Amino acid sequence: MSEETAMNAFDRRTFIKALAAASGASILSIPNAHAAKTRARVVVVGGGYGGATAAKYLRLLDASIDVTLIERETRYTSCPLSNEVISGEREIKTLQVGYKGLLKHGVKVVHDEVTEVDPAKKIVTTAGGKHFAYDALVLSPGVDFNYAAVEGYSEQLAQTKLPHAWKAGPQTLLLKKQLQAMPDGGKFIIAVPKGPFRCPPGPYERAAQVALYCKYHGKKKAKVLILDANDSFSKKPLFEQAWKELYGYGPDGMIEWTSAANDGAVTRVDAESMTCFTGFGDHKGDVINLIPPHHAGKVAKNLGLATFKDKWCEVKPESMESTKQKDIYVIGDACVGGELATNNAFPKSAHMAMTQAKVVVANLIAKFNGLPPPVPVYTNTCYSVVAPDWGFSVVHLYRVENGQWVYIKAGSGISPVTFGTKEAPLPVPRIYRKLEAEYADGWLRNVLADAFA
Amino acid sequence: MRKGAMAVALFWAAGSAMAAMDIEVLARTCNNCHGVGGISAGTSMPSIGGLPRDYLKNVMKQWKYDERGAATMNRIVKGFSDDEIDALATHFSKKRWVPVPQKTTAALMKKGKSVTFENCEDCHGAKGDDPDEDAPMINGQWAKYMTLELEKYRDDGFKMPHRKMKKNTRKLKQADIPAAAHFFGAQGQ
Repeated sequence: MSEETAMNAFDRRTFIKALAAASGASILSIPNAHAAKTRARVVVVGGGYGGATAAKYLRLLDASIDVTLIERETRYTSCPLSNEVISGEREIKTLQVGYKGLLKHGVKVVHDEVTEVDPAKKIVTTAGGKHFAYDALVLSPGVDFNYAAVEGYSEQLAQTKLPHAWKAGPQTLLLKKQLQAMPDGGKFIIAVPKGPFRCPPGPYERAAQVALYCKYHGKKKAKVLILDANDSFSKKPLFEQAWKELYGYGPDGMIEWTSAANDGAVTRVDAESMTCFTGFGDHKGDVINLIPPHHAGKVAKNLGLATFKDKWCEVKPESMESTKQKDIYVIGDACVGGELATNNAFPKSAHMAMTQAKVVVANLIAKFNGLPPPVPVYTNTCYSVVAPDWGFSVVHLYRVENGQWVYIKAGSGISPVTFGTKEAPLPVPRIYRKLEAEYADGWLRNVLADAFA
Repeated sequence: MRKGAMAVALFWAAGSAMAAMDIEVLARTCNNCHGVGGISAGTSMPSIGGLPRDYLKNVMKQWKYDERGAATMNRIVKGFSDDEIDALATHFSKKRWVPVPQKTTAALMKKGKSVTFENCEDCHGAKGDDPDEDAPMINGQWAKYMTLELEKYRDDGFKMPHRKMKKNTRKLKQADIPAAAHFFGAQGQ
């Protein structure tokens, strides 16, 4: 892995050199409205995948727009592929990026916390006492956690004894340390909240990465127990197939999954005795990775935008504009969208956040220039890696018809589980799994570059 | 009016230009994995900006109609109309091909030169910079991606339609694969 990491670092440098060698405008070759004198002011709140993409593309497409990005942290850590950090397959620094790339595009980056938004006066106020007037406000605040939903849990416990690591960073490293310290024969519990939650396949990929670590680090008798508040999950047949083949699955295997119907939902935790309590049972763990329920980040929630189940922000399909507040757009994990009636909601993924950001940008550029709104298209690609040579994905495509999101089944779906026919299934050749494990890394490098470089 | 603004105005001006704008919107979703301008930043993902239009078109249509295997792309393109595929191919073919010359070793280059002279040069050119609809440029394409592609051609589980590529790649020894990929990956403009 270290050799691979060194090579990747080199490749990144050569890539940047190649980009610099090509002349700016021609390589970007996006219709450029440099001469447009709209001088519109856009404030973007939140510098994750969604917010960074929105800020960058606004400047790329119309350099006359005044773009301010407000973000607490000075460095971003990608949640996608952070499960590989827990198993030691990846260094956390390969997931980290700063905001210099955005500065280069002329984005004003302010490291501060938004304390108030006045949608009537269109002013954003920060903890640092600064005020920012806007013509359009893009909120990409991610999620905030509801610790009170699990009795006995708290933010303080999450930072010390019971990490959720559902925002990549210090807790990811803490969880890794706890895994390393776990004795052989120990139990690693992953408690999954009721959906929708950030990164639908994340808990199950994490189970595989934890099992991968145990298998090759003298913990073959370890148990990874998933206690789930749901009765199904993303890419389920692909995960179950891989778990079974790689780590053993079920009561006798290394990985075990307990659905909500089987009393899997954790309602209480006792940090002292390291016990998770469900409706009727209790489970002691050596490591407890408790992912609490979460909701739209508080900037959006405090504004009253989280109208969907009091958790997520509803937006307009053609523009991602809030259905509650004019000129405020909500993207990324904080929003809800997609074909809800058929249970085909937008997955809360980095890729989705970025395509939503691009929809907002295309819409705003047209609006500022007095042009008709472009027809949006929403895509998602999400890889899960269960072993260094075993990955798979799900892709999604949504279009907007008659003002509604339409899930396009033909352009969506998971990697094949089997080949052959239903009656005579054949195993999928291993090269497919290997390719998608490799593509996951290529995807990561590209989304980081597309959003932040 | 400066050139940029004119281009934008023209884009949005007429009804027929709306379709062109939609392709820009659609093409931007490709950037997530293939980079802005189709210049990939990930070693396992190919750069696609500046590749021959007919090559891009053919490959996407072969995926769409299950004439060519893929791990991911075959699912993605099935949601696009043939017209969209044509427009995406045109869009990316108009970009500039930007090789990302990668580091290699003298030994790999030496071996790569002889392997590619024997097996690749006729169609791809000595430096991989002689493209046509069947054989895209591969100078400065990611070596990792090309290694994976060659493995696809050599694997019976993969449906790859190009007879000659299949035949030639299967003549190679395992050690020839990285040598050929790194040789072309190291080539510049």
